[in-house]
Amino acid sequence: MLWRSFSIQASWNYRTLIGHGYAYALLPVLRAIYRGDPERFADAVARHARLFNSHPYLAPMALGAVARMEAEGEDPVVVERFKTAVRGSLGTIGDRLVWAGWRPVCLLFSLALLMVGATWWLAVISFLVVYNVGHVGLRLWSYRLGWREGKRVGEQMRRSGIATVQRVLPVVGAFLVGMAVPLAVAGRHLSTASISVGQSLPAFWTVIAIVAAILGARFGARVRGPVILMLLGSSFFGLLVRLL
Amino acid sequence: MSWLAIALWGGAVGLDATAFAQVMVSRPLVAAPVMGLLLGRPLEGVAVGVLLELFALVILPIGAARYPEAGTAAVAATAGYIAASGGEQRPDMLLLAVVFALLWERVCGASVNALRRFNERLVASVDGRDPLEPRRLERVHLTAVALDFGRGALVTVVGAALVTAVLAAASAGPGIGDDVAVGMLCVAGAAMAGAALSLFDGWSGRRFAVVLGAICGLILLIVG
Repeated sequence: MLWRSFSIQASWNYRTLIGHGYAYALLPVLRAIYRGDPERFADAVARHARLFNSHPYLAPMALGAVARMEAEGEDPVVVERFKTAVRGSLGTIGDRLVWAGWRPVCLLFSLALLMVGATWWLAVISFLVVYNVGHVGLRLWSYRLGWREGKRVGEQMRRSGIATVQRVLPVVGAFLVGMAVPLAVAGRHLSTASISVGQSLPAFWTVIAIVAAILGARFGARVRGPVILMLLGSSFFGLLVRLL
Repeated sequence: MSWLAIALWGGAVGLDATAFAQVMVSRPLVAAPVMGLLLGRPLEGVAVGVLLELFALVILPIGAARYPEAGTAAVAATAGYIAASGGEQRPDMLLLAVVFALLWERVCGASVNALRRFNERLVASVDGRDPLEPRRLERVHLTAVALDFGRGALVTVVGAALVTAVLAAASAGPGIGDDVAVGMLCVAGAAMAGAALSLFDGWSGRRFAVVLGAICGLILLIVG
């Protein structure tokens, strides 16, 4: 079941979200529970193939808890109510913990490694190893917690250290952003690939880069579009120069 | 250029983004250098990957949000840049490859949405049967995995072919010059590095940590 949970989002769609992936992951357990009763088995699979959503790394928690409830013969109405109750929080917690926390922190750490002169493969491998220790660890932990606690999993989750991790990660992330900005202003993200920056580059580029970093920090993801437009404009200008 | 390697790696990267594993080989920081390595020139992949990663950092795949797919676009741009740069680091070509990837990632993202729409029909073919057939549900789910692999391979190969053609056409004759290209890429990198702060509650919430980090960064710059 845990292995199957790695592909829980494969049949992602706008109707049932990851509902079918959830049923797919739960199938071996349901098959074992309802062995010899194909009708109830098909009915259980159909119940779990309905709308469901969760962060993929925390989905094993819902899988473990529901597997336990099904094994204990819990009323399907209670199981459904449980799934409805956890799907929002597992999504929100996971998004904040992983997508907006653990992942950018690991990426920024590896980018900083690259920009201070580490070899590219060291930065890439360190990212994959560090990130996936957290990733696989979270999947294992959430599955075990779900299986152990069943429908009381929400209560146990509140007592876990997730909230502490969520408080620490943004501080580490902000520190790494602070570290990455001067390195990026100096063009270290280019010199990682042997593109020489510095000697031949007029100083006004550094001033513009500092202003750009401040604007980036002020406006966040909203600067992405204008920066892409700036690069696009300069590329078109370059192509125009070539044509003329 | 090995189109088979591009297709296979593009497929794997497309799959990793959502459908299977999510071990983050689909991040530009990983996908582009590995593509470079497969084509014998990892540093070109690093150049593309680092820049695209800075742009991808601020994108959050939350809920049913529609977002650009950076990994497959990074693989395509790396393949094109390697073909165009001819063994040297060419900042002007790098700029074009990065711009292409930033546009192409939207096409890749649209292909993800198209596949999700198609998945609706696949899933409906299971739900529509009474009683539901568990084996059919398994088959449909695995078909969706295979389709996503194919989608990733397709958008990567088409992107690589397009960017190779664009860079080949652009490399004939003088352009904006290497200095301007390097300057533009420095500015873009700095802006996106700063933008990543929004992920961690912004300046007002994390002033102390940012300043401490900046001091460390400056020391590393001076020492290094």
